[in-house]
Amino acid sequence: MSLRQIFDRIEPQFQKGGKLEKYFTLYEMVESVFYTQKSVTTVAPHARTFTDMKRIMSYVVIATIPCILFGLYNTGLQANMALASLGEPAMTGWRIGLMQALGGFGLNPANPLACMFHGLLWFLPIYIVTLIVGGIWEVIFALVRGHEVNEGFLVTSMLFVLILPASTPLWQVALGISFGVVIGKEVFGGTGKNFLNPALVGRAFLYFAYPAQLSGDSVWTPVDGFSGATALSITSTDGMTALASHGITWWQAFWGTIQGSMGETSALACMIGLAFLLVTKIANWRLVVGCLAGMIGFSLLLNVIGSSTNPMFAMPWYWHFVLGGYAFGLAFMVTEPVSASHTNAGRYWYGGLIGFMVVMIRVINPAFPEGMMLAILFGNIFAPLIDWFVVRANIARRAKRNA
Amino acid sequence: MPEPETNGGFVARWKALPVDSVPKTLFVAITLCLFCSMIVAAAAVALRPVQEANKLRDKQLNILQVAGLYEPGINVAEAFKAFEPRVVDLETGTFTDRFDAASFDDRAAASDPDLSQPLTDDPAGIGRQGRYQVVYLLNDAQGDLERIILPIHGYGLWSTLWGFIALGPDGNEIYGLQFYDQAETPGLGAEVDNPRWKALWHGKKLRDEDGALQINVSKGAPNAAMAPYHVDALAGATLTSRGVDNLVRFWMGEAGFAPFLENLKTGAV
Amino acid sequence: MAETRRSYLVDPLVDNNPITLQVLGICSALAVTSSLKVAFVMALAVTLVTAFSSMFISMLRNQIPSSIRIIVQMVIIASLVIVVDQFLKAFLFDISKTLSVFVGLIITNCIVMGRAEAFAMKNPPIDSFVDGIGNGMGYGLILMMVGVVRELFGSGSLFGITIFQTVNNGGWYVPNGLLLLPPSAFFIIGLFIWAFRTWKPEQVEERDFKIQTAEAH
Repeated sequence: MSLRQIFDRIEPQFQKGGKLEKYFTLYEMVESVFYTQKSVTTVAPHARTFTDMKRIMSYVVIATIPCILFGLYNTGLQANMALASLGEPAMTGWRIGLMQALGGFGLNPANPLACMFHGLLWFLPIYIVTLIVGGIWEVIFALVRGHEVNEGFLVTSMLFVLILPASTPLWQVALGISFGVVIGKEVFGGTGKNFLNPALVGRAFLYFAYPAQLSGDSVWTPVDGFSGATALSITSTDGMTALASHGITWWQAFWGTIQGSMGETSALACMIGLAFLLVTKIANWRLVVGCLAGMIGFSLLLNVIGSSTNPMFAMPWYWHFVLGGYAFGLAFMVTEPVSASHTNAGRYWYGGLIGFMVVMIRVINPAFPEGMMLAILFGNIFAPLIDWFVVRANIARRAKRNA
Repeated sequence: MPEPETNGGFVARWKALPVDSVPKTLFVAITLCLFCSMIVAAAAVALRPVQEANKLRDKQLNILQVAGLYEPGINVAEAFKAFEPRVVDLETGTFTDRFDAASFDDRAAASDPDLSQPLTDDPAGIGRQGRYQVVYLLNDAQGDLERIILPIHGYGLWSTLWGFIALGPDGNEIYGLQFYDQAETPGLGAEVDNPRWKALWHGKKLRDEDGALQINVSKGAPNAAMAPYHVDALAGATLTSRGVDNLVRFWMGEAGFAPFLENLKTGAV
Repeated sequence: MAETRRSYLVDPLVDNNPITLQVLGICSALAVTSSLKVAFVMALAVTLVTAFSSMFISMLRNQIPSSIRIIVQMVIIASLVIVVDQFLKAFLFDISKTLSVFVGLIITNCIVMGRAEAFAMKNPPIDSFVDGIGNGMGYGLILMMVGVVRELFGSGSLFGITIFQTVNNGGWYVPNGLLLLPPSAFFIIGLFIWAFRTWKPEQVEERDFKIQTAEAH
């Protein structure tokens, strides 16, 4: 019996009036993994295209693959280097135990495969917890509300994991994704109606709820007793010259072998993902242009103004670009179509606002050395307002023309 | 047929006026204002002594706590009598009798242009520094100096932290540190109030044998030689910790109480 | 009559709650709910002010010229608030330190003005007094509920008594710092409104527009 036949046979049970009608959502979820959806919008207005939500969401997940791979490598690399310098006393935890049982495989910082394996041991538990906990919320809401479980959650969960530090406790991961999915998305009606990026909402929740585990110097590399500040926090305390004395070069930051959240350190990997999204037209280039222009423009302005007390003023734009979450946010979050502005002119403004805010927060706010998360959430909130102004302006222009 | 003009007395005519007429509006407004202002004034005046006593008690309580003399249930005013308040002139490092120490408000004086000066080198972020500060001296049963309580303040992340530091008789060993007024981030910077963190200060020293100011708040464990001068920073509160570091070093330094403590040590005051 | 008075008292608790249904007095609910003790005193203060201001305004309602009625209400409310503030400073000093300016801001609490304008101007003094108590309690109820969540999960204690020993004090509980920050009350009040409306669907407002559904073909 083919798979299609199995689905066709059990489907009536889930249809209206069937025994399992309540669980249609679950049936639909499993079926749509294998087959294209049969239901389409029949009332106007509608446009037909070969892209559907599933394709868009899968493309985004594909686009994150370079970041995932590099994130695995860098997490393992940083941990292995820390272990090498700290030696035996830091060799604690089940991951180390497992790797020692495997004859020490995974603990060699010089072997990229070993580093990826070590990184995987940190990445997987967080990802599994995210999928299970977030998935449960998705299914609950889908059952109660009677809508489908869609692939949007796969994107949310992947992005959420990539912007967490590797050492995040798993219970916090569970709380964060719950908050992101429920408050960031489901209370507004689910995928497509969320005006905030759910992955960022989850991370922002954790950032403010448990700052000790989500910020500071000892969270980025998951090794007990190891302290490594991010490049942004080094600069905000001691200035650009301190970066060099910590041995951080621009190329290193571009490749991504620096301290940071799991998937966001490599600007290169993010750019590969962004290129894929731009080529497949999932990401709108206007957003990217706006965000780059805002960041470059404002950081150049701050370079000119200068400050004797705040070393962050001196950070050039090409450093802002490779440090912290800027590149990752630009590639996967600024370009997220639902929470961004929907008008073409608005997209420039929306991107520009985020680019401006990220520099503003990094440089001028004393409390937050990293600003991409807050800048994007800020942009999300303003997106509908920007659209409103663009539409107003358009109406006014046309009224004038036809007057 | 229109109603005839009533020729009653003033009261009757007043009563006949509509509520919205100008005289009645004025009357209601004025009466109400008078009445309410009387009530408010009465409450403020009658309760003032109790409120003043509360403020004083609060300050005394904090001084007792930082000096380690506070136990729940003690009579604060009575216990506070053990302290001798004195006004110190920071510039000369000596006591001054220009003000009554018991009633001098050094916090208000810090913004008085006659009694304070603007700072150019201002690590504590306070803008102006009052020239006169009230210190509290505690003598033991033999009349020897046992503890010195000095007021300190400075900017953290979001707010000015106001507090006291208690020193031993040598003016070098820290007995305790306490902030009575701050608005740092709850759970992070506001942990300056955490008894466990405050306990870290006990027994630390301000200066090394050569008299160099060494006390500092920073992250991580220092080497053994520096350990007596080092207080571990608050977890996750870099900027508040830096603020505390700056303000303690500022007030214990030359622009702060250093001349006074030096005089105290040499017996010049 | 007794029945109506009872409903003046009970209705604002759930069915016509000033915070969750009328969405009034949110600002102070954000500011004072990080600890239960403070929330309780604030609720008490607002209840007293609402009840007495409603009563006084109702007593004067036939004498208040409509051109200056808002100012008259403000003056009465403000005087009461100042008296309450003075009493707190005198007899509950620690709590008044934490409440700081928020006692003064009771004047601007929409609940007090709202009840004065909507109820006390049209009803006799005793009814207005009861209505003020009811609305103050409705406000207080939400304040306490928010306070329980915020203090328990934010600092691991209730009324200052430790329930969960926090990590900083050598225990196991990692306090949720977000709950100590005022914006967290937004989420919590939002969740309460959600819960209330699930329990009592008649409180749900009408949708502004309907979303088109997809049909199978």
